[in-house]
Parts: sequence; C-alpha cells; structure tokens
Amino acid sequence: MAREFSRLEEPKVPSGTLTYFLREALRRIWTSKRSSFVAISMIAMSLFILGTFMLIAENLEHAVAQWQGKSRINVYFETDATPQQIRAAEQILASHGELARRNFVSKNQALDRFRAYFSNVSDLVGQIDENPFPASFEIEVTQTYLQSRAFDAHMNELRRSAGVEQVQFDWEWLAELRRLARIINIVGLIAGVVLAIAAAFTIANVIRLTMMLYREEISIMRLVGATERIIRGPFIVEGMLQGTIGGLAAAALLYAAFSTAKQMIPPTGSLLWGFLFSTFLPWQKVAALVGGGFVAGWVGSWLSVRERDDL
Amino acid sequence: MIHFYHVTKKFDRYSTALHDVTFHIEKGEFIFLTGASGAGKSTLLKLILRQMEPSEGQIVVNGRNLNAMKRSQLPLFRRDIGMVFQDFKLIERMTVFENLSFILTVLNVSPKEHKKKAYGVLRAVNLQHKLNAYPLQLSGGEQQRVAIARALINDPLILVGDEPTGNLDPDLSAEILQIFADANLRGSTVVLATHDRELIRNSGRRVMTLDHGRIIDEKVAVPERPASRDTLFGFASS
Repeated sequence: MAREFSRLEEPKVPSGTLTYFLREALRRIWTSKRSSFVAISMIAMSLFILGTFMLIAENLEHAVAQWQGKSRINVYFETDATPQQIRAAEQILASHGELARRNFVSKNQALDRFRAYFSNVSDLVGQIDENPFPASFEIEVTQTYLQSRAFDAHMNELRRSAGVEQVQFDWEWLAELRRLARIINIVGLIAGVVLAIAAAFTIANVIRLTMMLYREEISIMRLVGATERIIRGPFIVEGMLQGTIGGLAAAALLYAAFSTAKQMIPPTGSLLWGFLFSTFLPWQKVAALVGGGFVAGWVGSWLSVRERDDL
Repeated sequence: MIHFYHVTKKFDRYSTALHDVTFHIEKGEFIFLTGASGAGKSTLLKLILRQMEPSEGQIVVNGRNLNAMKRSQLPLFRRDIGMVFQDFKLIERMTVFENLSFILTVLNVSPKEHKKKAYGVLRAVNLQHKLNAYPLQLSGGEQQRVAIARALINDPLILVGDEPTGNLDPDLSAEILQIFADANLRGSTVVLATHDRELIRNSGRRVMTLDHGRIIDEKVAVPERPASRDTLFGFASS
C-alpha cells in the first residue's frame, strides 16, 4: 500500500549536496566556457588593479618602516660653502655630545650617490659644468634627544651658522611617504571596489545566462520537489568558483608582473628600485585579494538567483 | 484525497480556464480527465500540483488546503506527487540512470541507494537494459516509460499524467496505461488527462469530461467485456 503523506518540514541538506553543488558548478562553468572566461577575466583584471595599488603602498610602507628605526638629521651646506664654514659647523656638532655620531658627505660623494641611485638619469649630471649637489652632515640621534628642549636650541644654532643652507629631519619626509602610501591605499581600494562591483555584475549576468540554459532542468527540479537551496546552490557555487579563480589569477599575474619587473630593473641600489620592488604582498593580503574575488562571485551569483523565482 | 470546491481559474478578465469546478477523488482511485484541447485539463492538473493558484474556490489534497500552503512547503508537498508529461521532459544530456539519479539527489536520497532504486523502477517499466542509454537513443514509448519511472521513483501517493500517450501510437499507449494501472494497484491514486476517448472506452474507470472549463459529464467507463490484466484497458486486441 502507498505510504502516508510526508510532513511538510524543511528537509535536511543531504549528505552529498556539497559535492553535487561543486560537480554541477564545475560542469556549468565548462559548458559556458566563453562567458565564464569573460567573468573570470573581469574579476582577475579588477583584482589585479587593486593588487597593484596594494603592492605600491606595501613597498612604500616597507620603506617607511625601514627608515623609521633610524632618527637622522641632515645638515646641508650651501653649494659655495667654504671649508672654514664647514669646520665651524662641525665644531658646533662636536660641542654637543648628542650630535657626535656624524658622517660627512662631500659634494663629490653626494654626486656619486645620485649616480648610483638614479643610474638611468645620471648622464644628465655630466652635462652640467658644476657639481650641483651640496656637502652635508648626516647625524644619527636618539629619540630621547629629539624630544628634549636642547634639540630645538641646537638646531637653531646650526641654522644660524654661516654656510648652512638647511637642517632637515628624516621624519618629515617619512610622514609624507606614509601619507602617500595611505592615499595610494585609499585610491586603490576605491578603484578596486568599483571594479569588483562591475565584475560582480558581470558574474551575475553570466549566471543569468546559465540559468536560462538550465531553465528546463530547473522547472523539472521544482516539479519533483527540489528545494530552492538545491536548485540555487550550484549557481551560487558557480559564481563563487568564478570569483575565486579570478582572484587566484589576479594574484598569480601580480606576482609574475612583480618578478618580471624586479628582474628587468637592475638591482643597482637605485632608490626607485628599492622603493617599488623590495617586497611582494604578504600572504594575508594575497588571501584578502583572493577572498575579494570569492565575495564578488558570491554577491554576483546571489544577485542573479534571488531575482529568478520564475525559472 | 483530492477535493476541488467551486474552483475557478481565470488568467485575465477575458480568459477563464476553469468555471466553478467541484469534484472529489478518493484515495487509491484511478480517474481519467478528458475533453478537447483547451477544455481545462492541464490547468486542473497544474492546480493539483500547485503550479498555479485558483482565482476562486478551495483545493484540498490529502487534507491540506493548497490555498493556504506556504511556498517553502511546496517542495515536500510535490515529492508525494509523480508527474508525467506528454513531451516526457527528460534531460537529454543525461543518461536514463542519470535522469533518475538526478531526481534522487534532489530528493535527498543517499547516493548509495541510487542504483538500486533506479534499477528497481526501470524494471517496473521494463527498461532495465537501457540504464546507460541517452533519451535521444530511445523510442518515444521508451522515453515515456523513463519519464514514468522518474515519476514513480519516489513511490508517489498521487500519480498525475498530462496526456502521457499524446505522442504515442495505440500499442505503446496501451503499454503506458498498463504501467499507470500497475502503479494504481500498488496504491497510488492516478489522475490521467487525455483527449483520446478510445483509450478510456473500456477502462472501467471513472471518467470526468471537461468542456470549456466546466465538468459536463462524470461516469464510469463500463468495459464491453470482462477485464483481465491483459485487457484491462481494452488495448490488447485493438
């Protein structure tokens, strides 16, 4: 005899459901290869751009962190400062114990440094008759001294000394660099979010197309009593897979571009090289990039399945 | 089992598919719905499956008022009903086994049981040897038998057929109806819509005739000669 009617409770998720979602999602991606490729490319491109901004900001922050430990004062002389004026300034430095750890950089040494840092443009300097770089003192100081009253007094004394053009503190341009890194991070984040939203909509459209392809199957599934979770699951997983593959592709492309650029620019100790190509993104940020793709894919597919009740 | 109380279904102001229809189908009954194309047979079946809602009136299936049924309750409600269509609605990219296994997956049946259940139900429609064939490699009659196997795989309480023999020749139609009769013998209530009066003539079953959305006749088709298993529907000699 026939059994009794089922109780109308929400059925449990079957044990093999996740495998079914994954298998179906992969099959659907394969069936709609071209549109899936477009969706994955869009996600990859968006995250690559975001990743590029993140990489630049990361390297700037890295440079700032490297310099942060060192508190340094630079005393620059006028280009026509006489040796007597330089000696007078050195006597001021010598008279204060806190300024004793100093290093003199002559005009020629400054020129040599420039040539090493900016090897690409060093020829320009040769075209100028006179060495344009000033001599200077680089002085390592302690944090305690920086915060002391004596510090301001000593700096003013140095500034008043004949032949001294400028007394500069490292932390001023470090703060500028930090600000620049922050701006790059924000701009990258805005650009990345805008592009990720566009990519999510692309994924949504691709999923809509796939749903149209599977219209017949979906109607059969509804008639035999498939729950919405079972019907929509493979489409959601499809979007998440597309997003994750896009994220992984972006991370791989970024690493390939970083490695290639690092190899192409000779490691001459150039300042630019040191700034931009010293380090790749840490794994947490790479994971965030891939996670961004996952989320964009999930949002895109969720947008498309929630509006298609008729299918 | 199935009760319609003054059910009217309007699609718009000018198009009414069913007019004030009232009828009752008892548990274990085998009933034919007949009438010309456009008489309202398919609409009535869709209302039983709650594919659409009535404009007026009440529908009760096994004690459940379909008008009050929540959307979230529909999947489980439909699992008790097997549906067979004129155009089979098989998934062409899947083999016979996959078409059945696919349904078992969505019905939450453990993958370990898929082969056993599929084989059992295919044996009931005499297609166990076509387990790995694709629908397009099968004849129309075979495809319909697979569709019936799919409808039977969850041991439905109600088996609904919408013109299941519409695309088949008389011999194949007899075979298909025999499968429905067997399901009925196993306890399923069967509601079969067909406009082929020849099929119904000697069935010995209740026949409800629709015309322009109204029930115009309701009677039992009396067999012209005593029914046996082979001649239950009067096709063996036709």
